[in-house]
Amino acid sequence: MAIITAHELTVGYGTTEVLRDLSFAVPEGLITTVVGVSGSGKSTLLKTLAGLLPPLGGGFDFAGRRVDYLSDASLRDLYAKIGVLYQDGALLNGLTLYENVALPVRMHYPELPEDVVRDMVFAGLSQVEMAASAEKFPSELSGGMRKRGALARALVLDPELVFCDEPSSGLDPITSSRLDDLLLQLKERFKMTLVVVTHELRSIERVADRVLLLGDGGIRFSGEYAGLAATDDAFIRTFFLRKARHDDT
Amino acid sequence: MSGIPSVANPSETIVLPKKLRTAEIAGLLAKIGRLTASGSVTLDFREVEDFDNATLAFLRHIEHCLPGVTVADVPEALAQAESSFAKRPPGTCWPETPAAPPSGSHAGRFFQVMADKFLARVQLMGRFLAMFGDEVFHVGQYLRKRRGVYPGETWNQMFFMGYRSFPIVCLLIFLVGVTISITSVQQLRLFGADIYIADLVGIAMLRELAPLMTGVILAGKVGAAVTAELASMTVLEEVDALRTMGVVPEKFLMVPRLIAITLVVPLLVAMADVVGIFGGVVVARVSFGMLPSAFIREMITSVDWTDFGWGLVKTVVFGWAVVVGAGFKGLTVGRSAEEVGRATTESVVLSVTMIIIIDCIFAFILY
Repeated sequence: MAIITAHELTVGYGTTEVLRDLSFAVPEGLITTVVGVSGSGKSTLLKTLAGLLPPLGGGFDFAGRRVDYLSDASLRDLYAKIGVLYQDGALLNGLTLYENVALPVRMHYPELPEDVVRDMVFAGLSQVEMAASAEKFPSELSGGMRKRGALARALVLDPELVFCDEPSSGLDPITSSRLDDLLLQLKERFKMTLVVVTHELRSIERVADRVLLLGDGGIRFSGEYAGLAATDDAFIRTFFLRKARHDDT
Repeated sequence: MSGIPSVANPSETIVLPKKLRTAEIAGLLAKIGRLTASGSVTLDFREVEDFDNATLAFLRHIEHCLPGVTVADVPEALAQAESSFAKRPPGTCWPETPAAPPSGSHAGRFFQVMADKFLARVQLMGRFLAMFGDEVFHVGQYLRKRRGVYPGETWNQMFFMGYRSFPIVCLLIFLVGVTISITSVQQLRLFGADIYIADLVGIAMLRELAPLMTGVILAGKVGAAVTAELASMTVLEEVDALRTMGVVPEKFLMVPRLIAITLVVPLLVAMADVVGIFGGVVVARVSFGMLPSAFIREMITSVDWTDFGWGLVKTVVFGWAVVVGAGFKGLTVGRSAEEVGRATTESVVLSVTMIIIIDCIFAFILY
């Protein structure tokens, strides 16, 4: 079953269309990677699906219900079911890591006692191996730690779907690989659905169940990762050729 | 001399050197300019072996922009490189040909530009007023439900806006009190009316100077800080992160600041009244020996509690204008670091302008 179904979705900024007439589905319980060259509209699509940027045309259903950008209730409903890992983490700099992770809990459930909040926060931080840094401020953390902390914040309310915007960007291969492990763990142990925007071929190969390849203002490929090998499309072959060369070395 | 092309034939054929890179081309252009003034020129490329992007751009320049220059014997390697060189957009010769004058009369174009700017301002003002209305709603909703704001944030903001602003407000208002007293006492002395310095300072401070100066100081200190902070958060996607957590940033970030300014501004302006009047007392005592008790007795014959009260009310309105204006600029900033600085400057200008307009409206209503 698809958690997101897009119907002729057009996304962009103001009057500038970045991607036109996209129709695709994001299946539940799998990792879908959104890939494409820089500037192909990956992050714009993610912002639209995360309820931050109104579509310029068409629309999409989340868990079977159409998302209405003009309705606060519809957007609130969407936000309650998703978590977003931003490219640089986007932790609030004025709060400690603990307070950052506790923020969504405190905002949505102010009646919860502090010891319950504390347990929830430490469960989230332990999941990403960041419990020891709970009292640190984001400025005291490395890039990888900030991303793991931000992932803990995105997961603390058990969302149905997690969007990850370039989780590996700017990270060394080891940290990147640990983050990939975490994403796989979320899928396998917690049956979570993930949409990962990336252009890291190693990461795609490792985590992707499905691939949505963007290019020329539309979708160039949508399907299972294994299906990429069978395609004759020159653009797709060029895009993934780098992977083959990379693997050879 | 290497690098400088030689004029092989005075009848305007230039044989270009083996090495034709940026530096050689720069020297060559002036020579071509001189020669084309008196006729056509042929550039012989046969010896060119060492070239770069400037050479390729130069070939394009000749083709598009130098009609009096002919190219001869371009080597195969150079021709191939030129054919794969990035295409130039049309109409980019230098010096550029002047654009065709826009249609319509000067007056018509002037009014068109003015109308566009006016409509853009009206649109901006509409968005600002909408945000102002939203903030009133958010504060009301928070006071009823006590949700949607981070616990303790209002205290942090009160500390920053009140305690941290207190020394600079006191210092500046004291100096303003001293300055207007010194200026006024000399004029009043001409009429033997020195004693009325107390009335003048009292009225000026309570009704105008303390609220206005406090508002302007808050615009510079608090307004700029709020815009810079919120704009940085917007650029760093922290505001987007709040939104996707289901938190309303316009409430989460603005309500604590608005409640804080509402609570601390009356205290600040009350202290500013006292300090400003104290400046007048000091000048009166030093310049003509007036006792502080006499100063106060005289002052309260011309001012009353309504002057003090309206001063407080005015400053709360100024405070809201500063914080909402700063929030508006901070939350509507673009995505680059450069825009953070621009938004901060615009925020201070917007706040000071609003304070003066609001003060003017109050003056019409009250006096």
